[in-house]
Amino acid sequence: MINKFRNLPLRIKMASISLFVNMLVFLINIVLLLAMNNMSDKIDTVYQANLQLNEISSAINDVQDSMTEYLDTKTSDSLEKYYISSQAFTELIETLGSSITESRQGRMERSIKSMADTYLDEVSQTIDAKRGRNIEKYRTRYEEATRLYGYINTYIYSLNNEQFKENSENYREMLTAFGRFEVMGNVIMVVVIIATTLLILRLTTSLIRPLRSLTTMANRVAKGDFEVSTVPVNSTDEIGIVTKAFNKMVVSIQDYIEKMKQSAETERMLKEKELMMETHLKDAQLKYLQAQINPHFLFNTLNAGAQLAMMEGADKTYEYVQVMAEFFRYNVKKGSRNVTIGEELELVDNYIYILNVRFSGEIHYEKEVDQNLLNVEMPSMILQPIVENCVNHGIREMMGEGKIKMSVYSLDNTACIRIEDNGAGMDEKTVENLKNGRPTSEKKDSNGIGMDNVYARLKLFTETDDCFSIESDGPGKGSRFTIYLDIKDRAEV
Amino acid sequence: MIDTIKVLEEDLKKELKHLNMITIWGITGILAVLTGLLIVLFLSFNKTLGRKASDKTYDKYYVMITDDPSSSFWQSVYTSALAEAKKQNAYIEMIADNLSRDYSQTELMEIAISSGADGIVVTAGEMEGMKELIDRAHAAGIPVITLLNDNAQSERLSFVGIANYNLGREYGKLLIEMVDSKTFPGDTVNVTVLLDAGIEDSGQSVLAFAIQDAVKMDQAEHIRRKPIEIELAAVDASNTFSVEESVRNLFLGGKENIPDIVICLNENDTNSVYQMVVDYNEVGQVNILGYYDSDTILKGIERDVIYATLSVDTDQMGKYCIDALTEYYEMGNTSQYFTADSYVIKKSNVGEYRKEELNDQ
Repeated sequence: MINKFRNLPLRIKMASISLFVNMLVFLINIVLLLAMNNMSDKIDTVYQANLQLNEISSAINDVQDSMTEYLDTKTSDSLEKYYISSQAFTELIETLGSSITESRQGRMERSIKSMADTYLDEVSQTIDAKRGRNIEKYRTRYEEATRLYGYINTYIYSLNNEQFKENSENYREMLTAFGRFEVMGNVIMVVVIIATTLLILRLTTSLIRPLRSLTTMANRVAKGDFEVSTVPVNSTDEIGIVTKAFNKMVVSIQDYIEKMKQSAETERMLKEKELMMETHLKDAQLKYLQAQINPHFLFNTLNAGAQLAMMEGADKTYEYVQVMAEFFRYNVKKGSRNVTIGEELELVDNYIYILNVRFSGEIHYEKEVDQNLLNVEMPSMILQPIVENCVNHGIREMMGEGKIKMSVYSLDNTACIRIEDNGAGMDEKTVENLKNGRPTSEKKDSNGIGMDNVYARLKLFTETDDCFSIESDGPGKGSRFTIYLDIKDRAEV
Repeated sequence: MIDTIKVLEEDLKKELKHLNMITIWGITGILAVLTGLLIVLFLSFNKTLGRKASDKTYDKYYVMITDDPSSSFWQSVYTSALAEAKKQNAYIEMIADNLSRDYSQTELMEIAISSGADGIVVTAGEMEGMKELIDRAHAAGIPVITLLNDNAQSERLSFVGIANYNLGREYGKLLIEMVDSKTFPGDTVNVTVLLDAGIEDSGQSVLAFAIQDAVKMDQAEHIRRKPIEIELAAVDASNTFSVEESVRNLFLGGKENIPDIVICLNENDTNSVYQMVVDYNEVGQVNILGYYDSDTILKGIERDVIYATLSVDTDQMGKYCIDALTEYYEMGNTSQYFTADSYVIKKSNVGEYRKEELNDQ
């Protein structure tokens, strides 16, 4: 029932509460009114009996008077009067009780009734005797009747007195009872009013409560706190509907904010990466172009030189020029695309050959390559700058035989490319600088791509910081560069 | 953490809801109880008012007519008669009690006959015109019982009384006992027997005769004693104060005319004489033989003002009246005479008598 009530529309709820309370008050009012009415009726009837007795008294007077008048005058008028009055009297005494009761009034009523019957009989005999001119008889009858008349009157009078006494007592009792009832009624009314007020207060509070909690939540949302818990819905009335709508709204706002945050984050990441890649590549290319003014032209002229050397039969020159052309062509060909480890290694081979021709076999280049890893992808122009760095900073400044060792091997799904030299080595500070990407003192004869650039591009490519390590046991003890590439990822790409 | 808080919140909400329901139902309950209470109050109030209307009813209505309805003697008879009548589902009434006018017993007889009584108990059997009235009642089918004073010539159903002659003999014995035990100043002992004037009360006459008889017989045996002079004095009981006046006359005739012993044959006379003796300071000089055992009379005995009293068993008397009427209605007839017991109360047994009375109550 309560649940049914809870699900009623608000206005019906309000209406039913007020209806219920009003009905209750009305009911109690009706009961009180009925009681009061009943009591006043009772009070009315208290003196009813006295009135009746008075009527009987005046009726018997009429009978006696009309009889006497008839006896005196013997007019038909008085006879008619007698008939009418005796009829009225007979009717009246019929209303009297005829049982022998415990109460004196009942018994007296019975006596009056009985005496009245005798009296009427006596009177009618008197009249008959008068009509029959039986003077002796009507005189004795008349005396008899008159005596009875006196007795009856005394009885009526006594009964009247008796009743009046009792009625007065009843009346007093009734008045006190009435007073008590009035007080009781008032007390009950007051209690009812208090109780109904409490009831209304209670019911309306329970109606308004969800509205209040809704307001509190709405205020929190308005202040920007979207982390509010949903407001409980207990009913399907208007408040319930509003609460549900509010809950939905809060949830969808929360969802929306979450989505916005995520997409902004990814977009930002993408843009940043793209931008970085572009910047570094541009930087590398710019430096490369500055260095090789026009690799196409150089490459073509070198090719022409190689053909000339072949025609002249200078095989060594031909080979040298050919390798040089290959070296330059690598830059033209690969440009900004990613390359394989094999291609990078080929470039290093060419570079070492060129250097050895230039410096007449000063550099001992050693290779130890896992052939399975040759197809692993990596950014272009990485290994050559490192080797160049080894030659320029390591081997060139040392006395004796310079050695460079290139190792390509796999280590837990990672392709490792290590480049060692036995050159000058570095102190810890230099190692640290190189690691942090700070350029060391520039040398004019390098082809321009610094270690910082290499490192930055590697980081962008692998998306980790641990893609490159530089080690040195100290000045004069050589350096070691290692690149770590994720095999699987790259192979799949 | 949040889950626990949520669970706690749910619990709290449930509890609050529960509490809310309890208050709502509680208040509704209070209101219901109040309404119920009001209705019950209303009904009970109605019942109190209505109670007077419902009244026990009886089959038969008897009327008792006595000379002095307010005397404790007749009240005692009436009370016992009423108690007995109620047992037989009848009601007996002393109609003179209810009426605003004083009527003579003959008038009351007329009233009783015409008011449809089922039986009449009347004491003034000897009164003039009573025979005719009793006969009239009989003709109307109303049985009449004469009480204490008979009217043997009439058509009365039964007589309930005392054995007057025996009672008179008792008085005589008491009188002689008193004369023997006390000293009297004069040559003769003057005794006055108070009789009701105006009523040819054969009962009292028999009584007085029996007293004289007893005294004569005694004097025949014991000549040495002072002679006892018995005088009959009429007490006028025709109106309210005449008894007192008549008795006073006894004491106004000079010292020598005041009797030594006064014998009273009804309660009223006894009370009056008792009062006069006290008033005229004749205690010790005037001795009283009383009648009936009212509280005043018993006190008189205890104070030595009244020598003795003869009491009639009033309970028995009342009961016999009703018995006679009941028997008449059940069997069609009943015995003509009922005699109630009588006994002497003197100073020696008054205490015992009172105790018995208390026990009876």
